[in-house]
Formats: sequence, C-alpha cells, structure tokens
Amino acid sequence: MNDKTGELSGRGHIEIDGLTKTYASDAGDITALEGIDFDIASREFVGIVGPSGCGKSTLLRCVGGLIAPSVGEVRIGGDVVTEPDPRIGYVFQQAVLLPWRRVLDNVMLPFEIMGRPTGENRAKALEVLEMVGLSEYVNHRPGELSGGMQQRVSVARALAVEPSILLMDEPFGALDAQTRDSMNVELLRIWHESQTTVVFVTHDIGEALFLSDRVMVMSVRPGRVQDVIDVDLPRPRTFSEVEADERFWTLRQRIREQLN
Amino acid sequence: MRRLLRALRSEAWLGRLLVIVSAVVLVIVWHLWARTNSPLILPEPGPVLERLLDYVGSGRANPHIWITVQEIVLGFALGGVAGIGLGTLASEFGIARRVIMPYVIVTQALPKFALAPILVIWFGFGMTPKVIIAALIAFFPLLENTYLGLTTAPAEMLELFRALRAGRWTTLTKCKALHAVPAVFSGLRVALMLALVGAVVAEYVGANKGLGALIIVSQGTLDTELMFVAFVQLTVLGLLLDQAHGLVYRLVMRRLYGSVGAEMRAAGVSV
Repeated sequence: MNDKTGELSGRGHIEIDGLTKTYASDAGDITALEGIDFDIASREFVGIVGPSGCGKSTLLRCVGGLIAPSVGEVRIGGDVVTEPDPRIGYVFQQAVLLPWRRVLDNVMLPFEIMGRPTGENRAKALEVLEMVGLSEYVNHRPGELSGGMQQRVSVARALAVEPSILLMDEPFGALDAQTRDSMNVELLRIWHESQTTVVFVTHDIGEALFLSDRVMVMSVRPGRVQDVIDVDLPRPRTFSEVEADERFWTLRQRIREQLN
Repeated sequence: MRRLLRALRSEAWLGRLLVIVSAVVLVIVWHLWARTNSPLILPEPGPVLERLLDYVGSGRANPHIWITVQEIVLGFALGGVAGIGLGTLASEFGIARRVIMPYVIVTQALPKFALAPILVIWFGFGMTPKVIIAALIAFFPLLENTYLGLTTAPAEMLELFRALRAGRWTTLTKCKALHAVPAVFSGLRVALMLALVGAVVAEYVGANKGLGALIIVSQGTLDTELMFVAFVQLTVLGLLLDQAHGLVYRLVMRRLYGSVGAEMRAAGVSV
C-alpha cells in the first residue's frame, strides 16, 4: 500500500481496449461509445474533450468500474476492471459532500468505508486539506463554504487515499472563470506532488490544453477517438506563459475545427 | 442583508401579534355566543377556565391525563418502531417491499377505529386496545416518510458511495439514514398527533380512565363544562407533545448540520 514507486506506478497504467458501450432505450439501442482504444501511461495527465453527449462521462465511468462496457475492456495495471476500485479517486462535477459532515470528516469518509480509520489516516486527511489550502476550514460544514472551496474538499477527499489514478469529470465546470483558473493551477501543482495518473474530462479546450500531456478529442455520438493531441508545452505551466505560446493557439484551433 | 433580516423579524413579530389578536377575538366571540345559549349547549369561557383550574389544581385530572399520555407514548413508540423498521426494510429490499406494501394498503383501507370494539372484547377496558389503535394509526406516516427519506438520497451521493465500494449497510447508515432524518422527523410529527387522536377515540369505545373517557362521561351526565375542560387539556397536551418533538428535532438537526437555519433551508426543509 505504501510502495509508491513500485506497485502504484504500474497501478496507474490504464489500457482501454476496444471499448463499446450501448444502452437499451425505448427508441432502440443507443451506442454511447464505439471502439475506443487508448493507452494512458502511469502519471500521465490526459484531457478528454468532445461535444456534449459524446460519452465522455460514460468513458470515465467505464474506466472507474462504475459501469461495465458492452464490448471490450479496461485494464488498470494489467488487471481487467470489473468493479469500482477504492484506489481510484473520483472528482465529479458536483462536489458531492455530505452536508452533515464537517470538512475533515468528509475527507475521512473513504477511510471509514475501507475500515477503521487510524490516526495515520487522519494525519493524511489533514495533509491533503493543507495541500488544497483548506487547513483553516477543517471543522466547517460544507454549507458554510463557497462552491470552489467545496470542490477543493472533494479533490482532497479523492487524494487522501493516495490514489494511483484520479478521474475527474468536469470538476470545475460549475465554477466561475477566475476560481476555475486558480483551481487548474493548483491541480497541476498537486498532480506534480502526488504523481498520480489523471484523466480529466472537460468541454473547455483551453483548460484541457493547459493541463494535459495529451488531449483525446472525441466525436459526437457514438463517441469515438477522433484525434489525440500531444501538448508539447513546457512544464511547469502558467496561464501567461501558455497563452503567450504560439503552439497553444495552433492546437486550440486544431481541436476547435474538429469539434465543429 | 440587514434590512432583509429586519423585515423578516418584523414579519415574525407581526405574525405573533396577529395570532394573539385573533385568539382574543375568538374567545370574545365564544363568550358572546355562549351568553345567548344554555350552558348545557355551550358554556362560557370564564366558567370553563374556573372549572379547569379547580379540576387540575385538585389533582382529579391527573389520573386521566396520565393514562392518555401513556397510551399516546406507548402507541407512538410501537407504531414508530414498526413504521421506521418496515419502511427501512421496504426501501432496502425489493422483495420486502412487495410483501409489505399490500398489507400496508389493506391496513390503511380498513378504518382502524372500526377495530376498537373487537380490541375491547379481546383486551378489555385497559390501556391495551388504545395503545394498539394509536400504534396502528401512527405507523403509516412513519413507514411512508422513512421509505421516502431513504429512497431519495441524491444519485450523486450514492454513486460516490459506490465508487468507494461501500456496502449496503455502510451506504444505509452513513448516507441514506442521515439524508432521511428530516423526512422521518416530519413523519414523527404527524404520527404523534395521530397517536393522540387514536388514543382518545379508542377511549370513547370503552374506558374508565383517560381524557377521552372523561369526554364520554361528561356527555352522559350532560356536564358540557367538563367536556370543554377535557378539550382544553387535550389541546394543551397536543401542543406540548408537538413542542417536545420540535425540541428534539432542532437538537438533532443542530448536531447534524451545526446550526439550524441556513443549512436546513438549503436542503429545502421548513423549520
């Protein structure tokens, strides 16, 4: 569990292999995802963009084991995903905090569910809360925090268990532009410190380019991999540097044309 | 913000004022109306108050009040445990829901007061038939509200628990049950009032003690004044029970959500 360099680095490797997902509906079967093949290296930051309804979230849920693929499979660290894995951290579009729990207790939730939380777990929870800048709010209730702060608690909750993979489903989509920018900068810093694989779904091309090593562009339903873009912008990145870089605008243009 | 608070506060005060004024008006109307009638039909408020103070002060009211309170509390507790228990079972297990619900519908279709005579035959004139009626009638709102509260936990929360691989029991105790607290408390409130009605009406059928028995006795002796005394006692009892419920509710919500108010209103719960 604490072997961070050995096992966990392997645990961060995601292989998506011929993944197709169909749903039965009154109007017949709907194909949400079709023939997705994609490999994500350990500690890589991958952004997924695509028009709404293209199955981005479905893909993320398949990777996380929340829903089963109809055809094909997802392997994590070589093992086929069949059920949710507690070593995967989730951040949803909504913070999904339990309003009756204080901030610290919300971050402790994954430990409680896995078993009896220890003092060590508590120390870890406090550490991640400090990492997201909420040390002063550990005893607040979620209802007393702003939307951005709530989402940071949710990021802390996902990071507390030291996941090898972090799946983020439009995590900052509900935040205002300024809060979102600062969350993005913080996320990159946290990713750098924690060395987890991140899969980040967004509909914001700029956000995806700013954050990612690679961006997967998906087509409209049925969702397919339309393009994979290497973002060869130097790290660490800042908004001003990225936006001053010609390559950022070229890539942005390229993705935008594909989405239209 | 401050102006809004002040407005709310003044509205709260205005509300209280209106309640007091309208109550005074009602008592005056009662008084005037009673003067045109025989005291056998409608006694005046003054003599009723005197009789009440004498009745309660002399301690003669105590056995009646005590019996009715016991019936309410026992019936409420039994109906409550059964309602919450079966509501939880029905919400967690599809098979339990399929088995329980037809019985629940049947017990609801059958007027429970219709059972009072047979219960008196079976259990006599003591407290048992009243407790059973109170329990039967208190049971339904709790079953409904428990079921509703447990099955309406937000989908995102349940997905979070699934992603964390929480088992059924953990999801129930750490998520659904806490989410259900306001709904269960609103069920408890209705159940408490219904238990009071159930106990009193069951006493009508056959009892020698209790506030409902007192009403029947005063009817038999044409002692309308005493009947009104019993009405007042029942009303005060109902108000006290409701206040007790409110107190426990606020304590629980404060413990869960820190402060009553903002959080509960955000959750769409009326205080």
